[in-house]
Amino acid sequence: MIFNSIRWRLQAWHGLILVAVLAGFGFTAYHAARDNQLRRIDQEELAPRLMIPLFRPGPPGRPPERGPEGPPGERPGEGRRRFDPSEFRERMREAVEKAGALDSSQTNRFYYVLWQRDGTLLAQSSGSPKTVSLPEHTAAPEPQAPPGNDAAGGPMRPRPGPPMPPSGRTRGEYREVFRTLPGGEVLLIGRSISQDLKDMQRLALRLAVAGAGVLLLGLAGGWWLATRAIRPIEDIGATALKIAAGDLSQRINVADTDSELGRLASVLNSTFSRLEAAFAHQARFTSNASHELRTPVSVVLTQTQTALARERSAPEYREALEACQRAAQRMRRLTQSLLALARLDAGQDPMRRESLDLARVTRECVEMVRPLAAEGGIELRCDLPAVLCPGDAERLSQVATNLLSNAIRFNRPGGEVRISTRAENGVAVLTVADTGQGIPAQDLVHIFERFYRVDQSRAGTQGGTGLGLAISKAIVDAHSGAIEVSSQPGAGSTFSVKLPLK
Amino acid sequence: MRVLVVEDEPDLRDSLLKALREDGYAADGAADGEDGLYKAETSEYDAVVLDIMLPRIDGWELLRGLRKTKKTPVLMLTARDAVRDRVRGLDTGADDYLVKPFDLSELLARLRALIRRSASQANSCIEIGNVVIDTVARTVLRQGEPVVLTAREYALVEYLAVHRGKLVTRTMLYDHLFDENDATLSNLLDVHVSNIRKKLGHDFITTRRGHGYCIEPPL
Repeated sequence: MIFNSIRWRLQAWHGLILVAVLAGFGFTAYHAARDNQLRRIDQEELAPRLMIPLFRPGPPGRPPERGPEGPPGERPGEGRRRFDPSEFRERMREAVEKAGALDSSQTNRFYYVLWQRDGTLLAQSSGSPKTVSLPEHTAAPEPQAPPGNDAAGGPMRPRPGPPMPPSGRTRGEYREVFRTLPGGEVLLIGRSISQDLKDMQRLALRLAVAGAGVLLLGLAGGWWLATRAIRPIEDIGATALKIAAGDLSQRINVADTDSELGRLASVLNSTFSRLEAAFAHQARFTSNASHELRTPVSVVLTQTQTALARERSAPEYREALEACQRAAQRMRRLTQSLLALARLDAGQDPMRRESLDLARVTRECVEMVRPLAAEGGIELRCDLPAVLCPGDAERLSQVATNLLSNAIRFNRPGGEVRISTRAENGVAVLTVADTGQGIPAQDLVHIFERFYRVDQSRAGTQGGTGLGLAISKAIVDAHSGAIEVSSQPGAGSTFSVKLPLK
Repeated sequence: MRVLVVEDEPDLRDSLLKALREDGYAADGAADGEDGLYKAETSEYDAVVLDIMLPRIDGWELLRGLRKTKKTPVLMLTARDAVRDRVRGLDTGADDYLVKPFDLSELLARLRALIRRSASQANSCIEIGNVVIDTVARTVLRQGEPVVLTAREYALVEYLAVHRGKLVTRTMLYDHLFDENDATLSNLLDVHVSNIRKKLGHDFITTRRGHGYCIEPPL
């Protein structure tokens, strides 16, 4: 499914994070702006109006005279009067009414409300909403007026202490600031902030639109980035797909070898190379094996088809059957060798590690091939002092027999084969040297490869399968040993098997 | 028709030669590339069956050497069915190839087709007057009636028919109808021609005294 692709998942995560960041930012920005605006209203519009001298506790009996536009002023020289609370309240009521009337002409309609200390409404300017109520949490103490003093209505006049900091609240469409007057009254000033709220909504809308724009841009950028980041992966995937489809020669194009993906691509490429080499090796082996089988099968086919084409005499049938038998024996040798190699490759039938005398094993093999040597008039010269080493006697005799029969088969008539064992530098060495044609230098490196023949045409006619040396090498390798060859063209070849003494 | 088989596996070569001879061919064998090239160059063969893996000179090299002097049709036997090998064979100048193991009947059919092609003869049946020669069934019909011929007689008729209208010398006939082991008695050809005339009519084969024989195409 497409949405399971890494690009989509990246995009989803990216989108989620982007939305969260934008939402957080927008929320914070909106609230910061809102708080800022409210604070501005509080500090610049509402609070100063609370602090104007109109509401200062002034001398009773004389309402402050004010010009129609001037702010309520302080009257100097009126401070030393006796304080009368009821008169003060009366004055406040008037002040509230006046202040309300004063501001009503302006766009921002302020309203004033004054409560008594016990919460009863003292004064309310016209235009104030009906719903306004005594703010909670205003039970500010009255530090300047001890209870007794006030209750007795004593002559003591409250000193103008440090002004109480006004607090604000938002009530629906209204912003209100209130303070507790020294006399315990609560004075509140407020105004409608519907216009400001509309501005806020507009701001929120603008933030949302901008956020959506940024989100879209971010998603597009993320998509582009994800595509860019994923392109190398897709290249790798496409190449791997081609390789999976059978084209092992494909390689990932590594542009930047230092990046993480470049390193991955390099690793994959080298893996592909090894895979290709292994497959090529396998294909060559299979092709060689089938090639080796084709000739004997051809013999059987043509022999039988010729023989069956018409009635034959008994000797003719015999001849055909003998040819078929030879072909079948060749196929049997080949399949046995292939099976032996396959077992050695798979590491089945592990090598025994019994102590054996390499010289004795070799001597037995020499006796076995002696008739073959006699046939070609080839002399076998042995120098076989006992050499003890751990190994699988049966398998090692297979190696020795193979080397001996090669040395005899590829020798010149009347030649000789020198066979010797010795121990040196912690290894047991078996050497088989012939006096044959020798092996050309370019063939020496391939001599232990499967089906490699110095003369390709000798397949079959010499009775070999082309696997003898490959099997020998596999056996020696399984003994942690080494098999080596050196040759002088025209003078002969020397094969050495080296096995660890311990 | 005379065919050379170059194959190093003795059992395969022998059975091929036997089958070819029984099919009416004069067949020679060569066990290695050197011998094969020598025979192919010095004798007149109508076709060569050539194995690729050969001692001394391999099939490719033999083919290259042969193509310098001769156009003898070559049927290659390969033990690998890799496309590369087949392409290489055809490019080197092989006329056809067959992958081992093959069926004898297919080899014989391909050989017949090769020889027919080299004689620029598309049809496997040759019609001369009232005589029809079927080169696949190796039969001869005269006025619709089958005529019994010996293998050697048939080979002679076929060879002359393939080269109808041309003079065929006695040497050519010896070269193409007898393999190297046949005793080449000088009057053997005359005996065969005489027998054929008895069976197919005296005018079927014209004698060009001192030169050879000829089948005149019907006017």
